[in-house]
Amino acid sequence: MASSSSLGRVLTLCKRFQSVFRISPAISVQHCAVNLKRCQNNLLSFVGQRRALHTTVSRRGLEEFFDQPENWGEPNVKSGAPWTAKQLRTKSNEDLHKLWYVLLKERNMLLTLAQEAKRQSLQMPSPERMKKIERSMVRLDTVVRERETALRLLQTGQEKGRPGDWRRNVFGYEYWYRFKEYTIPWYMNKRHERKKFYTPHFVQPHIRLRIERFLRERARKVNLKRKTLAKLKERFPQMKLPSS
Amino acid sequence: MSVTKMVYPLYQLGNPQLRIFRPSWFLTLVRPGKEQPPDTVQFRIPMDMTKYDVKNYLEKIYNVPVGVVRTRIQFGSNKKRNHLNQRVKKPDYKVAYVQLAQSQTFTFPDIFPEKDRTLKEGSMEEMQEKFMEDEKQRQKSDPRRGGVTEWFGL
Repeated sequence: MASSSSLGRVLTLCKRFQSVFRISPAISVQHCAVNLKRCQNNLLSFVGQRRALHTTVSRRGLEEFFDQPENWGEPNVKSGAPWTAKQLRTKSNEDLHKLWYVLLKERNMLLTLAQEAKRQSLQMPSPERMKKIERSMVRLDTVVRERETALRLLQTGQEKGRPGDWRRNVFGYEYWYRFKEYTIPWYMNKRHERKKFYTPHFVQPHIRLRIERFLRERARKVNLKRKTLAKLKERFPQMKLPSS
Repeated sequence: MSVTKMVYPLYQLGNPQLRIFRPSWFLTLVRPGKEQPPDTVQFRIPMDMTKYDVKNYLEKIYNVPVGVVRTRIQFGSNKKRNHLNQRVKKPDYKVAYVQLAQSQTFTFPDIFPEKDRTLKEGSMEEMQEKFMEDEKQRQKSDPRRGGVTEWFGL
């Protein structure tokens, strides 16, 4: 539940600051939650004092596409570190779901800011925020997908949600072909008939040439390594060769 | 069901409503190039979003009352060439014109206002500013010469 999560605690922290300092009500809560991503030091003093309440965050609509008005025109805007996969794995599913939307709104805000800066030919304040958000979202997605595969394995024994198969294409490569939903069966599908899931025999010489090229490149790498080590050994006779 | 590369399941009569959790669609609010009516907001949206998607997105996530959405695809030019004379493509994008319901209006705000910055005494920025001003002063010519160039005269 949000009440026990750090996200909820950050929200309540901001709410408390809000009542003390009387900053503009709605947006600050939303943005505090994002900007103080991993700011732990403020929370330590409040742990155990009061149960966090569930608060509805700002509903200001289109204002959420922009930063707080205090940050407009600033050359730098402070932001915390991105979320790591390790931290995200400790969160519950509801928390991750809510965090996704927080990150989504922040990303939309940064995109609008970047576009406006390009329009006005000015520098966007602290552009590293975009990469942080992107990475956090990617990690969140991986964590959720991990949980989904684990659940699917336990319930059905299938690893992948979308069925597929290992098939060979015209060029001799074996690849994971993912099935697609059709309204008609495969033997009635005229276009699908033209697709070849086998390698014709006249492609064999080309495959052989490919294999030869691959072997040559691998041999070249091995030789290069051996020669550099020999040179180093000549130059530094007492050198200990690395074990590899 | 997450959305990285959206694969829509086939719909047949009686199927449940398609729902998307954790959408990976990002909107950019842009300042309109041409003058727009006061209730119109202009967005740049991903190419695979539809009008209904935009409406639901704004209503559910941002709680914005949306009336009508109109979209168009802007072609990004392929005319410019780089130093190797290869054509460089500017990416295409979809533009959505969203008209707000409940007679709400929206004007694009000025996000980069001029702020007079008072530098802190003894800070790095202040010292740097002073140094730059001194350098500029040294580069200027003698004001007593009245704009006459250095090489003129004795």
